[in-house]
Amino acid sequence: MDMLKLTDITKSFGENKVLRGVSLSVRRGEIVAVIGPSGSGKSTMLRTCVGLERVSGGTIELGGRALVRDGVYVRDREAREICSRTGMVFQHFNLFPHMTVLDNLCLAPVLRGILDKKSAAERAAELLEKVGLSDKADAMPSSLSGGQKQRVAIARALMLSPDIMLFDEPTSALDPELTGEVLTVMRGLAADNMTMVIVTHEIAFARDIADRVLFMDNGVIALSGTPDEILVNPPSERLRTFLRTFNHSAQPA
Amino acid sequence: MLLKGIGFTLTLFIFTIVTSIPLGLGLTFLANSRIKPISWLTRAYVLIMRGTPLMLQLFFFYFGLPFLPYVGKYLVMDRFPAACLTFSLNYAAYFCEIFRGGLLSVDRGQYEAARVLGLTGVQTTFRIVLPQMVKVVLPSVANEAITLVKDTALASAIGISDLMHYTRSLVNSRSDVTPFFFAAVFYFLFTLALTRLFTRLEEKFKF
Repeated sequence: MDMLKLTDITKSFGENKVLRGVSLSVRRGEIVAVIGPSGSGKSTMLRTCVGLERVSGGTIELGGRALVRDGVYVRDREAREICSRTGMVFQHFNLFPHMTVLDNLCLAPVLRGILDKKSAAERAAELLEKVGLSDKADAMPSSLSGGQKQRVAIARALMLSPDIMLFDEPTSALDPELTGEVLTVMRGLAADNMTMVIVTHEIAFARDIADRVLFMDNGVIALSGTPDEILVNPPSERLRTFLRTFNHSAQPA
Repeated sequence: MLLKGIGFTLTLFIFTIVTSIPLGLGLTFLANSRIKPISWLTRAYVLIMRGTPLMLQLFFFYFGLPFLPYVGKYLVMDRFPAACLTFSLNYAAYFCEIFRGGLLSVDRGQYEAARVLGLTGVQTTFRIVLPQMVKVVLPSVANEAITLVKDTALASAIGISDLMHYTRSLVNSRSDVTPFFFAAVFYFLFTLALTRLFTRLEEKFKF
């Protein structure tokens, strides 16, 4: 079954067409990396999947249930429920700054009545160990490095046992030396067969981890294929240009 | 006598703080309402309350309201309730503006994180947004509270027997200005205590 299925979604901000007919299905356990120049619509596409942006048209299904069908959204309560099986990790972490790491993890599952306080704390301890931050349970977010914050954010999303995890440029706000620890955690998720859609500029990481790579350009999925097809032998000039500018900025001469 | 005056002053202060902060918060939500007329009305209210003197408002609520046609006879109030109402409504307008600024300071990403974690709007407001807003608005709220301590002296203008009222009558009857000094010391110490209290609160909301 498709964990995530987009059918011909479109989205405009006024005159500006950000998504111009995007279709995509992601199978259980599949890892899809999305690359493309800024403004190509890759973040917007990801955000529509959890209802943070509303599409103008098209259909979005999560776990077989439609969040929006032919541009018509389900009611808000149902939308929240459908989206609640989806974990999202943001570029800027968006941890709750007024709570400890442990409270950041436990807040949603406890408030929503999914876990009681005790089992939430136990689950949080497990997940913090998994992301290598067992000693930070009582720390405030402001005392953490960017890489640590992002690992907490990943653990927080995992608290709700999501069926699929969406990553919106998870390492773009990090200093280069901190990206590794976040990517390691994501590799761990891949090893656990987590279904993931990752918008990223880490080309090497995408080649390594993804089952499929999408190249988005100008509001459409311009190219899609295995990492080898897309990244090793780029089939279009536009993609080659994109990857080249990339390598220049990524690898200091 | 001065002690009795202090009683009125303190009661007016406490009543105003306790009612105008929640009222101001309510106004903030109304001002941000998606229903435009509600938002406009709220903003007009804030504009008027902040744009006219508190003393004039006191006169209006105490002396003016009973003269309104038709409804006037139901709006006759004793001095003290009239003062409480005026202060509360006036300070709510100031708090509304302070909170509105505080609300704007909460990052969009916080709402987005709350949403994808499945929190409801109410949960997001009370667990995520308000605590972060409090941190931002505390210094301004402290400032307003201190201003209020001294503004309570205006209540003597409609004949309320507050500290200021007794001070003046003592000075007049005894031809002795020491009561002025006592009043000044009281207002000052009260303000000092508040400053201390808010500094502590700010410590608590450092994150």
